Amino acid sequence: MNITVYSTPSCGYCKMEKEFLLEKGVEFKEIDISESQEAATQMVEKTGQMGVPVTMIEREDGTEEVVVGFDQEKLTKLLSL
Amino acid sequence: MVFDTIIVGGGPAAVAAGVYAARKQMKAMLVADQIGGQSVVSDGIANWIGDILIPGPELAKKLKDHLESYKEDISLSLQDTVTSIERDGDMFLVKTKKDVYKTKTVIVTTGGRHRKLGVPGEDDFNGKGVAYCATCDAPFFRDKDVAVVGGGNSGLESVVDLLPYAKKVYLLARRDELRGDPITQKIVRDSGKVEILYKTNTLKISGSAMVESLLYEDKEANEEKELAVQGVFVEIGTVPNSSLCKGLVDLNDREEIIVDHRTFSTSMNGIYAAGDVTDELYKQNNIAVGDAIKATLSAYEYVKKFGN
Repeated sequence: MNITVYSTPSCGYCKMEKEFLLEKGVEFKEIDISESQEAATQMVEKTGQMGVPVTMIEREDGTEEVVVGFDQEKLTKLLSL
Repeated sequence: MVFDTIIVGGGPAAVAAGVYAARKQMKAMLVADQIGGQSVVSDGIANWIGDILIPGPELAKKLKDHLESYKEDISLSLQDTVTSIERDGDMFLVKTKKDVYKTKTVIVTTGGRHRKLGVPGEDDFNGKGVAYCATCDAPFFRDKDVAVVGGGNSGLESVVDLLPYAKKVYLLARRDELRGDPITQKIVRDSGKVEILYKTNTLKISGSAMVESLLYEDKEANEEKELAVQGVFVEIGTVPNSSLCKGLVDLNDREEIIVDHRTFSTSMNGIYAAGDVTDELYKQNNIAVGDAIKATLSAYEYVKKFGN
């Protein structure tokens, strides 16, 4: 499973989500969309969202889930934490 | 098991109530989705006493650590939400997503949330151009035209957050003047990027996949006008999270819980409230903490006399 967290440095809920995932021992890739316009455009295209945090979960079987905002309940369920 | 008190909420007021209830050895539980409060989205809080400047998430962590240091003395039900509070004899039944609990008192510290415009398109385009946190989402609006609705401090601060990214910012104020601090007004006016529109009333947000325009009423000219924008940041204040208490305790016309400002009791014996959910004049972290402590000490006195 590949997990990507899209974030910006000054986003409080992004920090809380990353801390939550680290605490639970979840490995994830972080993309700071403030660093490049490309990353921002890519996130909007992939997820249809223009706000952070957005978490993209890509499973081995090719299915994808997008979690909008720091949604602890949904993350807990999708990642079986 | 009957609790002495159940604290509803996860902001600074709730944590203060939790720490004090634990230290008083009350049989207490705190129910919250997460610990932090509204300031979690703040880049830097400059008026939290004891810290010169602290980022919102760091304050949230300190609050959580402090509360969890008492986990032997207080039950915590996190990632949980209270769905109803009902009177049950001289006690209360608190229902949450996970369970039902009986308690002698309830301390309501549910805080406030962003006030929405309540216009067509706002919910449909939430996260698709409509945003409520400029510090978080400003980088998405590089070289775009955006509108900020709200002429108070949070509106002005959102404009400042957007300045490094946006091509042009329209600031829509309801009145014929801005209410925010003069120091921030100056930054906004001197930027050369901001057009301030006074006496406006936002009517509609439109687009296809993403936001494309905002329709507003120009109250001076008495006509409807449209702005071609790709983003709309809504900063028109907060509303209290008091729906849980509707019909249970008295609310004022702003839906804030009316409290006695000496004891923080409400119109219902055994229910206390503190922080931004109440009719406290100043919505401040430090004040919410002090008010919640008073509420907790009042609840403690009430429990001591309970049944006698």
